[in-house]
Amino acid sequence: MVETGNLDSTVATRKPAFRAGKGHAIAHHGELLQGVFEDDAGRLHRGLMTLPLDRIRSVATFKITETARIKALPPDRTKAETAARLTLEHIDRSHTGGDLVIKSAIPVGHGYGSSTADVVSSIRAVADAHDVKLRRSSICRLAVAAEGASDAIPYEDQAVLFAHREGVVIEHFGGALPPLLVVGFKAHNGTPIDTLGLQPARYGSEEIQLFRILRGLASRSIRFQDPYLLGRVATVSAQISLRHLPKSRLDVALQIARQHHACGVQVAHSGSLVGVLLDAAQRDAWTKALDLAQTIRDAGFKDVEIHSVNTEEALENET
Amino acid sequence: MKLDADYFRALETPRLARLAPNLVAAAFPLMKLMPARFILDRAEASGELKPGAHIVETTSGTFGMAVALLAAARSYPLTLVTASSLIDRKYQARLERLDATVVAIDDPLGDGNQTGRLKFLNNTLKENPESFWTRQYDSAGNWLAYANLVDILVRNVGQIDFLVGCVGTGGSLCGTGTFLRQIFPDLKIFAVDTHRSMLFGQPVGKRMLRGLGNSVLPGNVRHELVDEIHWVGAYPAYQSAHALFRDEGVFMGPTSGAAALVAKWVASKHDGATVAVIMPDEGHRHADTIYNEAWLADLPGWPCKHPTEPETLSRIRPAKESDWTHFPWARRRLDDVLLSQ
Repeated sequence: MVETGNLDSTVATRKPAFRAGKGHAIAHHGELLQGVFEDDAGRLHRGLMTLPLDRIRSVATFKITETARIKALPPDRTKAETAARLTLEHIDRSHTGGDLVIKSAIPVGHGYGSSTADVVSSIRAVADAHDVKLRRSSICRLAVAAEGASDAIPYEDQAVLFAHREGVVIEHFGGALPPLLVVGFKAHNGTPIDTLGLQPARYGSEEIQLFRILRGLASRSIRFQDPYLLGRVATVSAQISLRHLPKSRLDVALQIARQHHACGVQVAHSGSLVGVLLDAAQRDAWTKALDLAQTIRDAGFKDVEIHSVNTEEALENET
Repeated sequence: MKLDADYFRALETPRLARLAPNLVAAAFPLMKLMPARFILDRAEASGELKPGAHIVETTSGTFGMAVALLAAARSYPLTLVTASSLIDRKYQARLERLDATVVAIDDPLGDGNQTGRLKFLNNTLKENPESFWTRQYDSAGNWLAYANLVDILVRNVGQIDFLVGCVGTGGSLCGTGTFLRQIFPDLKIFAVDTHRSMLFGQPVGKRMLRGLGNSVLPGNVRHELVDEIHWVGAYPAYQSAHALFRDEGVFMGPTSGAAALVAKWVASKHDGATVAVIMPDEGHRHADTIYNEAWLADLPGWPCKHPTEPETLSRIRPAKESDWTHFPWARRRLDDVLLSQ
């Protein structure tokens, strides 16, 4: 068995019949930005900027078998199974198959990206079993081929604007997200949303022009590691998303965020998650987050949790 | 369409000049190319503008030059309608070199005869139903195009607290302001107009400062965005343009001078805030006039004292070409302000 999540490891000494690989994928907390974006040729692409959550993960193991058959567990993970099949084709091993086992701690139906995480962990597990290192861009393309749309979680904390229906990066913002604390909760009393049943939003001219600006502002916020500008990006994107997927009482969340001098509010554009963003580098950031969480609980929101993104605490916990 | 005619996109990309530690100017070679390109692109995409169709517009200013560049590159015949009192021979020659037809309507009153120009334009449209009117005064494309400027500003400056810009059609200031305020809700917007322009409630009269203000009210002017209105006379605008060139090496037209005058004052009053100012065109067109000492010397009352502060008006009224006035507009509609007068 290969070590957890280490895609670079080459274990050449394993006996072929028992070769197995492991892959993980992180969850996310919805998006910091989602809309349509123009490329240099003037064509529009649907795209998003994911808010990664690296504490909740999907872990897949893939054990190579000699028959060209893939068996997934749990058996309902058909997209992950498809992703495994496509990965074998991509690395030219389609004559082989394997047993795919997925263990995920990611809740389903709220916008945490559980389905994509299963797909991505499966792709990584298959590649790992065959001692192949895949580029992030290949993982994304395979994920989109397997489930029609994906998110940018293969890029983890690297900020990218990602065309989620095409599986390609529209713009690399050139760095990691600034350290954030996310006070997350669920709108709609936590009722899950059938994300695949949602119609893609149809945006108007003004919204499309606004997305151009939000992309520019996102780029600035990454270049200067400015959580407040990033918070503005998220808030405006959340406000636009309300016109397409209403979230009950988001105005209350926006007001609480303002009162607590938070950076902004982000949402899962196809889920029930809402997150208030705080600058994790400020003094007493955790105290402020706990205080904010209490206010949000008092306002009647469900499942209030604090997540850290790209903070030093998170790094220490990982090692 | 010929080749992808993007080789002059740089003309609609402003240079960003820092005029003070907290003041950034977006100095455009030819700002109107931004809305002109956006309007044509949209009309081409929607099928409203067919290949080779006749384009018409009423303009005596830089929007005409912008459409002429695009029309030439994309093989559209173009007619620009202006008034005899507004003819600038050299500018007309440049437009004609781009194969634009410039029609000057007789203008006995010297007020630009916008009514006569529109009548001519409507006749042209009636005779040739395939023709396309760019409608810079009321096309939404005019203000929507300025998301490009906001993109450039936020990428390079980040947060902006004050926006200062001229108003003629309303496209640049109201477009930039609409978008920028969605990103930064506390943004203050300062509009720059000139005496005897009717845009912000002054009685119409002869305006010395060309390219700023209007004698009709374009639909793209959104008064309720504006926090404060400044009326700058021709002379302080010229002086400010001279200072921009001498002190900053930024060679712009007189309307840019008017905007810079107001913006520098705003920046000096608000130390900790970031101010952005829009400067729409370069000074070359004005080399024989406002950058020419002999021409200046013939102006009545020139040289005059350069105002360092605007005079605050409690009632809206026109002033001398050497004056600079302002009025707290407070995001009101034009009718509401006029009623309160």
